[in-house]
Amino acid sequence: MGPFDFAAAAAAASSSSSSSGSAPKHPPDLDGLLAGAGYKVRSSELHHVAQRLERLETAMVNSASHIPHLASDAVHYNPSDLASWVDSMLSELPHSSSLPSGFPDPYPTALGCGWLDPCAPQPHQNVVVPQQQQQQLTVVAALEEDSGIRLVHALMTCAESVQRGDSSLARSLVEEMQALLARVNTSCGIGKVAGYFIDALSRRLLGLGSAPAWTYENEVLYHHFYEACPYLKFAHFTANQAILEAFDGHDCVHVIDFNLMHGLQWPALIQALALRAGGPPLLRLTGIGPPSPDGRDTLRQIGLRLKELARSVNVQFTFRGVVASRLEDVKPWMLPVSPKEAVAVNSIMQLHKLLGSDPNRDPPIGSVLPWIRSLNPKIMTVVEQEASHNQTGFLDRFTEALYYYSTLFDSLEAACPVQPDKALAEMYLQREICNIVCCEGTARLERHEPLDKWRARLGEAGFTPLNLGSNAFKQASMLLTLFSAEGYSVEENEGCLTLGWHSRPLIAASAWQAVPSVVNSPTGVINPNDNNNQL
Amino acid sequence: MAGSDEVNVNESKSVVPLNTYVLISNFKLAYNLLRRPDGTFNRELDDFLERKVPANTIPVNGVFSFDHVDRSTGLLNRVYLAAPENEARWGMIDLEKPLSTTEVVPVIIFFHGGSFTHSTASTAIYDTLCRRFVNICKAAVVSVNYRRSPEYRYPCAYDDGWAALNWVKSRPWLQSGKDSKVYVYLAGDSSGGNIVHHVAVQAADAGVEVLGNILLHPLFGGQERTESEKRLDGKYFVRVPERDWYWRAFLPEGEDRDHPACNPFGPRGRSLEGLQFPKSLVVVAGLDLLQDWQLAYAEGLSNYGHEVKLLYLKEATIGFYFLPNNDHFYRLMEEIYEFVHSYC
Repeated sequence: MGPFDFAAAAAAASSSSSSSGSAPKHPPDLDGLLAGAGYKVRSSELHHVAQRLERLETAMVNSASHIPHLASDAVHYNPSDLASWVDSMLSELPHSSSLPSGFPDPYPTALGCGWLDPCAPQPHQNVVVPQQQQQQLTVVAALEEDSGIRLVHALMTCAESVQRGDSSLARSLVEEMQALLARVNTSCGIGKVAGYFIDALSRRLLGLGSAPAWTYENEVLYHHFYEACPYLKFAHFTANQAILEAFDGHDCVHVIDFNLMHGLQWPALIQALALRAGGPPLLRLTGIGPPSPDGRDTLRQIGLRLKELARSVNVQFTFRGVVASRLEDVKPWMLPVSPKEAVAVNSIMQLHKLLGSDPNRDPPIGSVLPWIRSLNPKIMTVVEQEASHNQTGFLDRFTEALYYYSTLFDSLEAACPVQPDKALAEMYLQREICNIVCCEGTARLERHEPLDKWRARLGEAGFTPLNLGSNAFKQASMLLTLFSAEGYSVEENEGCLTLGWHSRPLIAASAWQAVPSVVNSPTGVINPNDNNNQL
Repeated sequence: MAGSDEVNVNESKSVVPLNTYVLISNFKLAYNLLRRPDGTFNRELDDFLERKVPANTIPVNGVFSFDHVDRSTGLLNRVYLAAPENEARWGMIDLEKPLSTTEVVPVIIFFHGGSFTHSTASTAIYDTLCRRFVNICKAAVVSVNYRRSPEYRYPCAYDDGWAALNWVKSRPWLQSGKDSKVYVYLAGDSSGGNIVHHVAVQAADAGVEVLGNILLHPLFGGQERTESEKRLDGKYFVRVPERDWYWRAFLPEGEDRDHPACNPFGPRGRSLEGLQFPKSLVVVAGLDLLQDWQLAYAEGLSNYGHEVKLLYLKEATIGFYFLPNNDHFYRLMEEIYEFVHSYC
């Protein structure tokens, strides 16, 4: 692939609007200018929203004493959906009795200022593409503007030669970079991350496609990553909040965890359920995990520990372990669910592994999402890395990963974790880097995709978003203050929450519900909507 | 909340396009929820409601951006540059070459508005505005994520502005022209405009060259109630009691609005006579209740012998520059272009 092919691929991979500078492609009805400001309002709804805003203002003046309630008790959802937000505010206030007079229609041009009717096509289309069409989101935190930058350029040039298939150039660049590394501070920042990427490139060039034999088990590394920085805690916390809310009012609940690991997420949920008003429900937990290498039944052991904890807080608890090396190996019959129970499916950084491309098959996600739906979950919580590491072009993937992991490592540095948490957390991330850079095909599991892609994918598969609100946001923010490092930030993104470092979101949490399917599921799982099925 | 004031919404909706009305009204009402009568601020809800966008090294409509964070202070600056002509270089941040060795490329240090309390450099409306500055005014832009009140009062925002100025001036990759220097202009709207003035004064005192100041309906005030404040109170998105709240949140506790940060040419102001102060472009919206303060500011500068161009946009409301759907927006961009490209 020559350099011009690369440029074409890069242009094709990124939004179609970026290279030509033309107006972006929104859903046709959205007001493009408001979209650039982060608000999604249909042009046809503008008048309506304006009237509601006016009404809200009147209501706020008339019910001034209700303002504190609006601010601190009312839960706000998805501020980008302005129409819904305004309506939700109105619903919290006693309605004002008189509606204000309507808006001038058609729009007055008598002022002689040449105001354009905003609903008509506008000649000045200098609109900026909103977030979802921006590919390759990056942040460069505290650049060391010397050999650090040279190293980055060398890395990208090397990756480009790898993409072109020029292995000899790539190898010589690797040597050059290893020399450069010697002159850079490799204990932190770009120097440290660069080292991992150079290493990964070197492995790729040596044809060592898969990761080397790692000394530590993934679960151990995961646990230290959990301790060293707030990302997994945020994931667990936010998912648990949403699950707790979804379980409200249900006496039998069932959580299906797609990757149990050490079950770190569940003690908090068990305790929260124990303290629930009206008493705890009956809790079932199904934990999915790979087989243990040494023949121990790790899943069962974790299950027993959680059962112990549940017993100590008087929560009736049953555990079932499902052993599977890959999520796509799990068959729905392994996860029987009862129509009486509220089911929560919990996926922390698992779904992206199903995007793998075997040229002869469709990616496994295509079969997994339907069987998740067939479980008729009350909620599905999804946490994924907020990155575009599944692009076809190697250079694009590499560049994105370089900036992503640089940011992640920077945040890890600042979180000042103790050893060995820090070293093992870095090892955990190093594995991801290696997989992204060295592997291809089915071996490449770390196929991270950004929120917008997941929204589209899950939407097509019959899931609708459950917006995470300001209450979850507030609590996640408070959780963060427990970490001494300033620089972490929680952000709201159209109903989802992200945690990032210095304005770069790194991990995204979202919640979904399945649109009830009216067709008999081919797997034979009980479908509560089909009256002909027997329990 | 002054319950006795009439809510004069009829006026604002008839002078701005509908989408502008929706945008600014939304801010107004959301902000009403965030300010507490006791002077504290609901920062969590503010963060939640804030619409932000990350930086993007891939050019969009000819502009790319990246963030720089100072490790020791945590101060973040977002840099906006024109896309490299060579598409193969897209995504790479080149910090080794100057902006140009032949032409002069002005660098605008931008301070976003928000009455010292709201918004960030990542806020969508400001990210969009900075991108427009790059495209239309043909400049590089550095947007400063200064610390906000009430958590960080005077002089934090000014200190951050001063730090940003020094950072920008010392970046070799922001240099241009045959004499390889950084051609710096300061710009800001609302509180950002106020910061521009104070950073410029500090720069002048220290002999650091700033080529021009651009103040977009800057936030100034005083104890006195001016005629425009009385006449326009509540009519075009803004109310005087809110203005008072934000000053109380920014100024040192116990201070009043004649503090020189708020009222630089007031009873406690200082003389700028003889100071090597940059030329100023002061933009005043004719429907802004603070215009008397802004006009007095422009006059004050002039009285001290400093060059001022006043752009008075009679029928503009605050925030007219957020959406490019009115003539004032284009007029403003033309003026800024001229302002940053006119040098001998």
